[in-house]
Amino acid sequence: MARVTYDYVTRTIARTLGAPTRGYFLLLGSAVGLLGVGIITLLFLLRYGLGLAGYSHPVYWAVFITCFVFWVGIAHSGTLISAILFLFRSGWRTAVYRTAEAMTVFAVMTAGLFPLIHIGRQWYFYWLLPYPNERGLWPNFKSPLIWDEFAIGTYFTVSTVFLIMGLIPDIAAVRDLATGWRKKLYGITALGWTGANEQWRHYTRGYLYLAALATPLVLSVHSVVSWDFAMAIVPGWHATLFAPYFVAGAIYSGVGLVITLLVPIRRLFHLEEIITVDHFENLAKLCLLTGSIVSFAYVTENFVAWFSGNASERAAFWYRAFGPYWWASWTMYICNGLLPWLLWSKKVRTNITALFVISIFVNIGMWFERYVIIVVSLAGEPYEPWANAVYNPTWADWGIMAGSFGWFFMWFLLFVKNFPAVSISEVKEVLPPPKRVAARAGARHA
Amino acid sequence: MVWLILAPPLAVSSALQAQTASQRYQAPVVHDTGSLKGPRQPIFFRHDIHAGQDQIPCMYCHYSASVSSEPGLPSLQTCLGCHQFVSGSTPSHQAEIKKVRDAWREKKPPEWVRIHALPGFARFPHMRHIKALGAQACITCHGDVQRMPQVYQVSTLRMGWCVRCHVEHKVTRDCTVCHY
Amino acid sequence: MTDSIDRRRFLKVLSVTGAGAAALSSCGIGPEPTEKLIPYLIQPEDQIPGTATYYATTCRECAAGCGVQVRIREGRAVKLEGNPDSPINRGRLCARGQAAIQGLYNPDRLTRPMIRNASGTFEAIDWDGAIQRLSAKVAGARGKGLVFLTGAEQSSFGDLVDEWMTQVGGRRQSYEPFGFEALRAGNRMAFGTATLPSYDFANAKYLLSFGADFLDTWLSPVEFQNGFSRSHAFDSGRPASMAKFVYVGPRLSLTGMNADEWIAARPGTEGTLALAMAQVIVSHRLARVPADASRLSGLLARHTPRAVAEVIGIEQQVIVRLATEFANSKGGLAVAGGMAAQYPNGAGIVAAVNVLNYVAGAIGSLVRFGADLAIGATNTFADLASLTSDMAAGKVALLFVHGANPAYSLPGAFQQALGKVGYKVSFSSYRDETAAACDLILPDHHPLEQWGDSRPRAGVIALQQPVVQPVFDTRPTGDVVLKLAGRPGTFQDYLQSKWRARQKKNFDQYWMDALARGGVYAEAPSRARPVQLAATAAGINTAAAIQAGGDQEVVVFPHPVLHDGRGANKPWLQELPDPVSKIAWHSWVEVHPDTAAKWGLSTGDFLLLKSPFGAQKFPAWITRSVRPDVLAVPTGQGHSAYGRYAQDRSANAFELLGTQVNSYGGRTFAVRASATKTGEHRKIVTTEGSPRERGQGTVEVLGLARAQGLHAGDHPFHYEETPEYAKDAVEGWGERQHEKASIGNYAGDHPRWGLAIDLSKCTGCAACVTACYAENNLATVGEQLMQRGREMSWMRLERYWLTDQKGVPQGAVNSPMLCQQCGNAPCEPVCPVYAAYHTPDGLNGQVYNRCVGTRYCSNNCPYKVRYFNWYNYAERGGEWEAWPEPLSMLLNPDVTVREKGVMEKCTFCVQRIRGAQNQARLQDRNVRDGDIVTACQQTCPSEAIIFGDLNDRHSRVYELAGNPRGYHVLAGLNTKPAITYLARVVAQETPSHG
Repeated sequence: MARVTYDYVTRTIARTLGAPTRGYFLLLGSAVGLLGVGIITLLFLLRYGLGLAGYSHPVYWAVFITCFVFWVGIAHSGTLISAILFLFRSGWRTAVYRTAEAMTVFAVMTAGLFPLIHIGRQWYFYWLLPYPNERGLWPNFKSPLIWDEFAIGTYFTVSTVFLIMGLIPDIAAVRDLATGWRKKLYGITALGWTGANEQWRHYTRGYLYLAALATPLVLSVHSVVSWDFAMAIVPGWHATLFAPYFVAGAIYSGVGLVITLLVPIRRLFHLEEIITVDHFENLAKLCLLTGSIVSFAYVTENFVAWFSGNASERAAFWYRAFGPYWWASWTMYICNGLLPWLLWSKKVRTNITALFVISIFVNIGMWFERYVIIVVSLAGEPYEPWANAVYNPTWADWGIMAGSFGWFFMWFLLFVKNFPAVSISEVKEVLPPPKRVAARAGARHA
Repeated sequence: MVWLILAPPLAVSSALQAQTASQRYQAPVVHDTGSLKGPRQPIFFRHDIHAGQDQIPCMYCHYSASVSSEPGLPSLQTCLGCHQFVSGSTPSHQAEIKKVRDAWREKKPPEWVRIHALPGFARFPHMRHIKALGAQACITCHGDVQRMPQVYQVSTLRMGWCVRCHVEHKVTRDCTVCHY
Repeated sequence: MTDSIDRRRFLKVLSVTGAGAAALSSCGIGPEPTEKLIPYLIQPEDQIPGTATYYATTCRECAAGCGVQVRIREGRAVKLEGNPDSPINRGRLCARGQAAIQGLYNPDRLTRPMIRNASGTFEAIDWDGAIQRLSAKVAGARGKGLVFLTGAEQSSFGDLVDEWMTQVGGRRQSYEPFGFEALRAGNRMAFGTATLPSYDFANAKYLLSFGADFLDTWLSPVEFQNGFSRSHAFDSGRPASMAKFVYVGPRLSLTGMNADEWIAARPGTEGTLALAMAQVIVSHRLARVPADASRLSGLLARHTPRAVAEVIGIEQQVIVRLATEFANSKGGLAVAGGMAAQYPNGAGIVAAVNVLNYVAGAIGSLVRFGADLAIGATNTFADLASLTSDMAAGKVALLFVHGANPAYSLPGAFQQALGKVGYKVSFSSYRDETAAACDLILPDHHPLEQWGDSRPRAGVIALQQPVVQPVFDTRPTGDVVLKLAGRPGTFQDYLQSKWRARQKKNFDQYWMDALARGGVYAEAPSRARPVQLAATAAGINTAAAIQAGGDQEVVVFPHPVLHDGRGANKPWLQELPDPVSKIAWHSWVEVHPDTAAKWGLSTGDFLLLKSPFGAQKFPAWITRSVRPDVLAVPTGQGHSAYGRYAQDRSANAFELLGTQVNSYGGRTFAVRASATKTGEHRKIVTTEGSPRERGQGTVEVLGLARAQGLHAGDHPFHYEETPEYAKDAVEGWGERQHEKASIGNYAGDHPRWGLAIDLSKCTGCAACVTACYAENNLATVGEQLMQRGREMSWMRLERYWLTDQKGVPQGAVNSPMLCQQCGNAPCEPVCPVYAAYHTPDGLNGQVYNRCVGTRYCSNNCPYKVRYFNWYNYAERGGEWEAWPEPLSMLLNPDVTVREKGVMEKCTFCVQRIRGAQNQARLQDRNVRDGDIVTACQQTCPSEAIIFGDLNDRHSRVYELAGNPRGYHVLAGLNTKPAITYLARVVAQETPSHG
């Protein structure tokens, strides 16, 4: 990659911040449109009640919680790629981690909405927060929902700080290229970064520690989320396997979405030189690994259900595979169990189009995984044979879900247009040392 | 209930006895009713005169407070029990008492403005509290009504206020005691 | 939270009644300080604000004449409970009785007199005007045919009408759609008396019902159910035993599914079976047969098991077995009725069963003539038919209709005949099918608003007094009649004069006493009038007549709660799943799986039934509880008028029936029809989950022999033991919860409230469900939401079939499922805001105003007994409003009306618990066993539910909890429920239940 000099990197990436095209506005418009749908649906829910959604006794959690877990899951790859791989000093992450991180922050922002939307009396959501009051009432710290609150809260704070910190040098870089209001904006957000050695030393140290701090969160957050289910006695939920199972699944889905997002970005912003095929291949490998862990979890689940000899457990998993929801379950088994195995072949791993398609199926599969775990386990109700129902989502469920995608992509699109979607400084780190002339050119900006 | 309604003469006599008693509370003469606290009532009923000066027991009018969850509101008949004899000393008093008698004649009970109210999901069994707190029960929540020319709400009646008292008296704070 | 409706709203409604003032001055609830408090003018002496007053009166929902006590709060009737003094229902009540207040405060009641104007539409008219016009009509109609049609009225009101009719030269006629002509004809045939005897179910040792649905609709269901549970329920005393119950009929009704054995005899052959059994008893000398039975020898000779087994469709040894069991029990009681008494040969069947009882010696002991059940005095269907033809022939100038809706039960004939009547007057409270066809409607008071009485049977005169102010501008028909008759005074005076005639000296005492006890009851039950076989007995013919029509036998049976359709406009009854099919809000046709397979039919597919008299479409419910060659359809639905809940709902089964009178002057409810699949389909509104219990300890069943072998301390039901290492963690946890919960302190030790439910008593009649709706302000959600499983029924009845080896249901076990109030509750730890938490007295508290609605508690509840408010069911004029005015007046002021987004569930009627605790504290004592009676326990006709303190070693519930038959549902989960179920005992080897 002779052409790829420091200067080239800066300019190419800075170019992504150039005047938005019609296509961009089209995308942004549709995202905002979807968000609108979500907001209107929400207003209806507030006015008339959750009855508008498809819930039916005993399926009291459904699409909303599915989406919640789905988005939390998405959030994971970001921190994994940016923090863990950083600690492992894997150079290839540099080109992709910014996107992943942004994705993380916005995904958590999306996920965080669902617990508020899905409760019956949304206007009392603050009762879930521990605040001193004259009545002497506190939330129940035994409840996994309260653990969630803290886990998600922490994760959001840390990953946001992490993203912003990583941005500082790059903002400085684009600041020097920018003009007009953007110059002012970057001027402030760059926090007076000059690129002095002193600053670099502190920066790298701080970044390292922050990475170390963020790493355990990757494991903790989804473990806690998984306990929403594992702590309950519902067959199909009540399993010690859940924490690792969910974390793996989360990363699997996260990496999936990273690919889904990177492919178009790379194309639209002509970043082929910077985000290369090797990057994708590495992501694919990560997919393969986590995907295999997930499939292993499926096998274990079913094996344990059989091996335990517990009638309810067996009933639950039988219902899952051959009950009225067989289609959902098999979508999940195929998309998450079989599909990743295609990635054993290097041909597939290095074929961007194939990866793109696969990544989409990964996301579908993972959404259905949560759907199956939540809805099907509840609908099966193997304890009380009298109380079972078949649940069907309604427009309200889809409306809110659409809104969540709108909300996510709106933020993401705004981000990639206003901040470097690929880390300028860190890409440079992994470039061959430049020739003198270019060095001056590059140094001017770096 | 029955004997209470039939008992007015007895009550009046007790009021007269009260007058002979030595240090007796003298309800103030109110010139400017506008300056009084609390919502204005259709009839300027003086709790400070009835309960304070004449020392008529609270439960003479609020007859069910000690036996039921609701305190009860005196029927117009109860008012007339006395006021067919007592027609007031000052013109202003006579005017108000006339209102009562008119209401009785026209069979139109006055529409009192409610002052103390709890939300529908909170239960407050009056009798339990009177049983527990005895004579001072009413004052604890309603304040010194015997000195109020016009009644107003003294306590917040909010849950925190209830809880504080329950803690002080070391009685249950179980939720389903009040909420069901 | 919802004080908006919980209080102030029905106060607003209340001002309608004038009792509003009372309510306002009551509860002291409602935040706006601007709210007005309106005092009484005169304090009613017997009412204390905030405290309930009970008045005794009589239930008029059916002719049984059960005594009720009405709970009055601030002038509103909020609940009906059985009157313990009444010898009929002994303080118990059925679902229909519970729902009576929904008739009182029904939003579709007529609020004032209506008259048909020139343009043919109804318009309001004032009472005096109406009565003037009417008296003119009466004068004009003299001699031109004047008829007053009433329901079953053995009462002073009936007498008054009779007197008036004789005065004006008209006649009174009474009408019950499901009459008892066959019983009277059959009794005459066998014994020469047309009266109805009383049946002593309580002391029977063996029960045999030929189609008589004595638990759901037959004669006096509550009384019979109470007696039935006494004899049929397993009695663990020594010798431990129970009466076996065998049901003979083409389908399993509520009654049938409580049988230990089902004999699905071919429709119409029930009588033949009875005679065959009699033949066996006589020929084998199984009982001391009365001498005069000899005259039956010819008849019986023709009915040897060998000869008739083929016709009946069962093996002859089964007949012999039944006969032997029946006779050897030395206390066999056979009853015939329901379907069996509605075939063309119904009278013969009843007579045959009489013979069976006679030869087995039941007559005079268990079947006692002389009680003269009032319902027996109702006019026959033949009388109505002649009236109809008179009307059609224009021989009726003026027709009064009261307490009957013949235009619904005789859709064709009567409707048309009505058109030919000169002037038609209805006293209905609703604009039902008949009223809609009348010229003048003078709405009667609801029974709870007016004076009256009824004489259900000899020795019992039930008194009926007004317990609330009239809700609307209606008038007691009695008063109207007196006015028309030009007689002085009100109906109350008339009633008292009638009663005075009965008791001259110190009448006032007598009267006050009657008012207090709800009537006068003969101390000793009337003595049996001895009967002999009549000559006609020898000629009893039980041969099933072959009817013309389609190729399919269709039986039309009365709906257990909607009955002949009169219950159809009460949301509680509409939302109450039928005890057998578990279907609510619409009608259905019962199809056997084999038949369904033949026709390629699946549940919900519409079947068009075309009989010679009419055609109707019904969605199929596929079940093994009906004979393969029979289709069964309930009545009750398919109203074309009546009110918002009844109207245009499903189809009217009466349309299929003919109106011609059969041999015994009754109506035939079995027709031949052609059945064709229409191709339409609907989603059945059913609460039924999996009809088979998966053997996970949800219900337990014991064979009689096994149950008899049980001794104190036995544990026949195995479930996972807690491993040692987990004992403290799991078992101890519940208790620690309990202690932790003691914030502040109650007096003395904490109680641990518990319930015991005896499944061998529970019949699944669902009275408890409706009682719970009434007591706890449960919202009715309507057909559409119920279809999505959103019903609010805190208490649901789970019906699991008990099947024999061939998979044919032999009865069912019904298990009331409600919150188990676990000592170690899964719902509690997961609630993030402590809305679900453990109370010091061991309840799983549910604090509605704290709940934010995460619904985690329900997900984690293995019993699935928590229900969520998906909408605001109390919203004024909202799409899902459950209590349109003035229905909201029956809301229980002691229970919060839940708002949308809140989880709710059974709390063992915590309001009653607190009420009792408050009262006890006022009297400086602790709550005694029996002070607290939950709504379900109070109403249960078979006394299957007992509530009490499990920590009180002397309480009944403690004793029952230790019964060897006792078990906890899903005990393996270590939830430590406070409800102990006592296993059902069946009088046969334990059948498989899935």
